[in-house]
Amino acid sequence: MIDKKKLRNDLILIGSLLLVTITALITINVISKNKNTSNLIATVSVQNTVVEVVDLSKREDKHYYVEGLHGQVHIHTKDGVIAILESNCPHQDCVHMGYVSDTFHPIICAYNAVYITIGVSPNDVDA
Amino acid sequence: MKARKLLPLLLVSILTSCSTDYSDRIFAFDTYININIASKTQEVVGNVKDIIKRFDILSDNYLERTENNVYTINHTSEPVEIDEALGDLLMVSQHVSNEGAKYFSMFTGSLSKKWKESLAKGEVLSNEVIQEELEKINNTSLTISLDKKRVQKTGEAEIDLGGIVKGYMLDYVKTYLETVNNLEYYLINAGASSILLGEKKSNDGYYIVGLNDIPNSYIKLKNCFFSASGNLEQGVTIGDVTYSHIVNPFTGSALTQYDTVRVVTETGYLGDTLSTSLMLSSLEEIKKVEKDLNIQVIVSKDNQIVYKSDSLEVYTR
Repeated sequence: MIDKKKLRNDLILIGSLLLVTITALITINVISKNKNTSNLIATVSVQNTVVEVVDLSKREDKHYYVEGLHGQVHIHTKDGVIAILESNCPHQDCVHMGYVSDTFHPIICAYNAVYITIGVSPNDVDA
Repeated sequence: MKARKLLPLLLVSILTSCSTDYSDRIFAFDTYININIASKTQEVVGNVKDIIKRFDILSDNYLERTENNVYTINHTSEPVEIDEALGDLLMVSQHVSNEGAKYFSMFTGSLSKKWKESLAKGEVLSNEVIQEELEKINNTSLTISLDKKRVQKTGEAEIDLGGIVKGYMLDYVKTYLETVNNLEYYLINAGASSILLGEKKSNDGYYIVGLNDIPNSYIKLKNCFFSASGNLEQGVTIGDVTYSHIVNPFTGSALTQYDTVRVVTETGYLGDTLSTSLMLSSLEEIKKVEKDLNIQVIVSKDNQIVYKSDSLEVYTR
């Protein structure tokens, strides 16, 4: 005869372990894709024209002011990350994104047509 | 409860599915070959090195080695028992000129050696010697048994597989990594002239491949073969003329049209032979090969790109 209480506890245990393991694997996978942050550059474009190229590996504390479609956009880099600090866009989504440093999270200020994308530095040649 | 007994097995199987990045290097084909593989065990790297060593031995036309190789075939007119892998490589070499590598010939061994000796003395090879060597090439043939284990060369030209063996060897490595071991993250760089690329773990899977004669330029590649031939490292300049290590099997000339030709292909042996053959081709011939074989090409001269495939983007800093 099946002990229902034991069965339930076993299922809870198995489910919890699976959840923890899968979460760990996903985290490791994402981290390993981004672990090589030392070779990243951030490209700042206004309406598809590149206006600044920032070498994030230098980890400089620097401010940039670019003219967007409707006003000036204030960009800041520090410690290998980059963010839009100020923009006159109505929703401030770009400012709320905060500091980013991985290739999966471009910063977009659609109102001012300012795009910050992060890619691999051409100095980091694999072959 | 069966679930309790299955738990350890489940955990072990999940944990052992994680792979590790392995890097190693081996000297073969007169160059360093860098091996980077993400694998569960280091044994895979060892086996890749064994494949490389094997073809290094089999294709050597300068030294007698531990088993019958190209040197053996070149130094007898008798039938020679060989490893089936060498037999297959020789068979592919016989036919690759019909696949688009028009200027590839495996019988340029002694012509290449004579050019090398002459250029080392700072001299251009005489036309008389060139004609003698071309005569040998035209009168040399190779018979390979159906099981590829026996070959017989007739004629005096020497076999040289330098223009195909690295690419062919990388085809073997790719099959071993993907089909046998189900691996996808790897980069095998055979002296920068023949590169096998799987996927990179970052950068959306793309490896960054620099173009050393085009300042600050690079391309992004994955899941392909990259082959390059050029004069930058092996060319010899006499007066104001640069002579190549690549010889034309029809004219005997060591002059090439370009400084570097790079090709991106789906097979290694084809990429290796094409990159050499296209150094001797006109741009029209190159464009035809590009279209017929669905490959990507970059041709450069004097530090500039003179032609490249539309589908291949070259990035600059």
